[in-house]
Amino acid sequence: MKTRFAIFALTLCLVAVPSAYRQRASAQDDASRHAYDVEPDWNDQQHLIPLNYQQAKGKRLFYQYCVWCHADSTPAGPSNRSNLNPVPVLMNDGATLNGQSDESLQKIVALGGSAVGKSAMMPPFGRTLTPGEILALIAYTRAIAQPPFHPSEVPISAHSGR
Amino acid sequence: MRWGKLPRALSSELLPVDFSLNLHRFRPYLLILLLSGTALLASAAGFGQEKPADAVDQQKSANQLWVPQLNKTEQCTTCHQEAAKSGLEQSSVSQPPGPDPLFPHHKKDWGCTVCHRGQSAALEKGEAHQPKAATEQPLLPIKYIQASCGTCHRADLPETPNLNHGRQLLSEYGCVACHQLEGIERPTMLGSDLTNIGAKVSPTWIYKWLKEPRTIIDSSGNVVVNGYETHSRMPQFQLDEKELRSLCAFLSSLRTAPVEPYKFDPQLVATLENSPDVVDQGEERFRQMFCTTCHPLAVTRAGETKLIGGEIGPELTKVGSKVNADWLVAWLRNPQAYLSKSKMPRYEWSDRDLYVVTRYIRTKLADPDVLSDVPSIAVPSPEEIRLGRRVFLKKGCGSCHAVEGMKLQEDFGPNLSHIGSEYVSHLQFGKSGIPRNLTAYIRAKISEPASVNPSAEMPQFSLESTDLDALTTALLGMTGPPSSSEIARLVLPRPRAEFHPSGAFEPVYERYKCYVCHQFNGYGGTLAPDLSYEGSRAQRQWMIDFLKNPQTLRPTLILRMPQFNMTDQEASILADYMTASLQSPSVPPASVDVTQFTSQMAVQGKALYEAKYQCQSCHTIGTTGGYVGPDLSNVGNWMTPAWIAGWLKDPQAQVPGSIEPRRSMTEEEVNALTAYLMSLRQSGPASHASAAAGDAP
Repeated sequence: MKTRFAIFALTLCLVAVPSAYRQRASAQDDASRHAYDVEPDWNDQQHLIPLNYQQAKGKRLFYQYCVWCHADSTPAGPSNRSNLNPVPVLMNDGATLNGQSDESLQKIVALGGSAVGKSAMMPPFGRTLTPGEILALIAYTRAIAQPPFHPSEVPISAHSGR
Repeated sequence: MRWGKLPRALSSELLPVDFSLNLHRFRPYLLILLLSGTALLASAAGFGQEKPADAVDQQKSANQLWVPQLNKTEQCTTCHQEAAKSGLEQSSVSQPPGPDPLFPHHKKDWGCTVCHRGQSAALEKGEAHQPKAATEQPLLPIKYIQASCGTCHRADLPETPNLNHGRQLLSEYGCVACHQLEGIERPTMLGSDLTNIGAKVSPTWIYKWLKEPRTIIDSSGNVVVNGYETHSRMPQFQLDEKELRSLCAFLSSLRTAPVEPYKFDPQLVATLENSPDVVDQGEERFRQMFCTTCHPLAVTRAGETKLIGGEIGPELTKVGSKVNADWLVAWLRNPQAYLSKSKMPRYEWSDRDLYVVTRYIRTKLADPDVLSDVPSIAVPSPEEIRLGRRVFLKKGCGSCHAVEGMKLQEDFGPNLSHIGSEYVSHLQFGKSGIPRNLTAYIRAKISEPASVNPSAEMPQFSLESTDLDALTTALLGMTGPPSSSEIARLVLPRPRAEFHPSGAFEPVYERYKCYVCHQFNGYGGTLAPDLSYEGSRAQRQWMIDFLKNPQTLRPTLILRMPQFNMTDQEASILADYMTASLQSPSVPPASVDVTQFTSQMAVQGKALYEAKYQCQSCHTIGTTGGYVGPDLSNVGNWMTPAWIAGWLKDPQAQVPGSIEPRRSMTEEEVNALTAYLMSLRQSGPASHASAAAGDAP
């Protein structure tokens, strides 16, 4: 009986290991092949996060408008983040942002920090960005969040049902 | 059985998955061994990668989408039932049958294949996605999907960064020199004019460069120096030793005008020649002139070598070992005398600066070992020169490099204006193992031409993977003239930007090559701010001071405007022209009356700046504030009140795409903030109060 079990376990290993390996390798391929764009995980540059059209649009807007204060390095050099008090949230900070509903994030981007009782240093972008652009930014934030964002974390009533 | 309702074609592909599911049922071990063996074989053969489609209740009849605008019907929604829904709820990249993303072109107006390609009439997955017929287009991998945007959008779109970058590279890397590429701009100068190259560089340097065109390379021929690898724009050609030597002989024979040595003031030379710090002085002036704004330079700091600087001019790390000393002096004094189409500005040099800077370049930007591995090159025979000339033409060197008396070799390579819609049967794969599809062909051809055809004349470019992706996207987007009149009607042409300066401005603008970095009405470079409306933005006196002594306006910017040592007269000519002609229609100069400003308004403005709008999070005044926007310490001397007031109301109306958020300020707040900002002035020897600006009391 023991021998039979050993054979069975060995067989399982033989099947499972290569197929798991193949899946991981193909997942990386897929990430760049089937995605509109990719963004390296901010905490692990080797890990590429696939982005769809909307998230890629959010990424573009992020690097234009938000990166200066919501990331630790910017395309133009030092970040303004350390310069500010209170220190702005990092755009991939899942621990802080995952619990926020889309509506509340939309509100803070559109109306600015002072409208939601936070720092007025966060200016309102509601007259600069369209609602679609703000949604794209939120979609990008969700995509790069670490720990990863799961829609179920947000109360259903608060989650937008576009 | 879950998959029972699926059409036969789909279920056969899903078999391996079905088998592995059976593992959970503990059947006799013999059967498990057999089944898992099959699964192992299947996964090794690649079937295991196939993911099951969503278990949707498929109907057996075809679902058809009619796209009246394009006059066609598509059957894609037969399988992609989710795609028939709109909305974003379930869309994600790993689920292709999901609904459309929020996308400007809705399916009912455009269908699917206008972007995704593939065969919309097919009802079987393989036929629709990867047709075998040589005249049918397969699906475009999502990675290159922006190529489809390029079919109609010949102008760059913000949503297609990959495509835009690829189109830029087609022009930058000189693809347009050999290939016809409709709509891709032909640079004014592709490679440098070689008419007088023999007077510039030595035959040994030509030999080394032709063998391995890299600017940093060590004596043993390594292209990686201190972990750093350079990528030159010149590609590497397949040349045997004989071709190499003869081409070298031909090029070094091109000496139409010998370079006259410049006569420095002998007294100056006597003082500087043996001065111990002459090289340091040169380095300091080199930095102050901001040569690295345009030229890359590898620097080693704390043991780590990295490249700094711009990408407009050639890399200078070892240029001191490349060019002849007299040529260098002559070049710096007047680049256009050697290369009439050069983008290099003609600086105003003092003898002293010229002497110390050239000494620095020849001493520090040099490597005595760089040519040590080149075999000795004898004085070439006339026959060798003639052979070299033939090699020059055979390899198509004349497509990029002009030589006086020789015709430019246009259309040396095939026309690529419709490569993106080329049939697979028209592509020459030869004996290569490249997958027989267009995407793989293009990718292989640009990354390693010899892998497709070992005897191809196309040279080897040195490109990074992201650039290869972008170029592949741009080439896939070169689909030639629209396939039908329906599409032709929808094509958005690429605008041609032109700027024709006039009067006294033109020669000064041309001398300092302002357009290489700055844009004027859509024409010019993007390295520095757009100056189309500079006359509305800046005060005349400030412009003159800035041109004479440029300062960083943004605390974090590394690149800076070079100090050209221009004369007062030249600076005034530029400032006058900008003030008079480069005006924004949305900023009438008389819209703000500064005489109405009171000190009380300025106090009110300061409060708004610091408390209500918290501008200091992005802007610096004095020593405190943020790094995002420009430093406002001297804004009262810099900007016009009309510009500031207009900006506070609607920044994007003045500079489209500006990142300054538009607020909803009252007229009173705008005036108060303008009054406050106009009161911010730094007094210095170079700043004068402008008469036009008025004084805030």
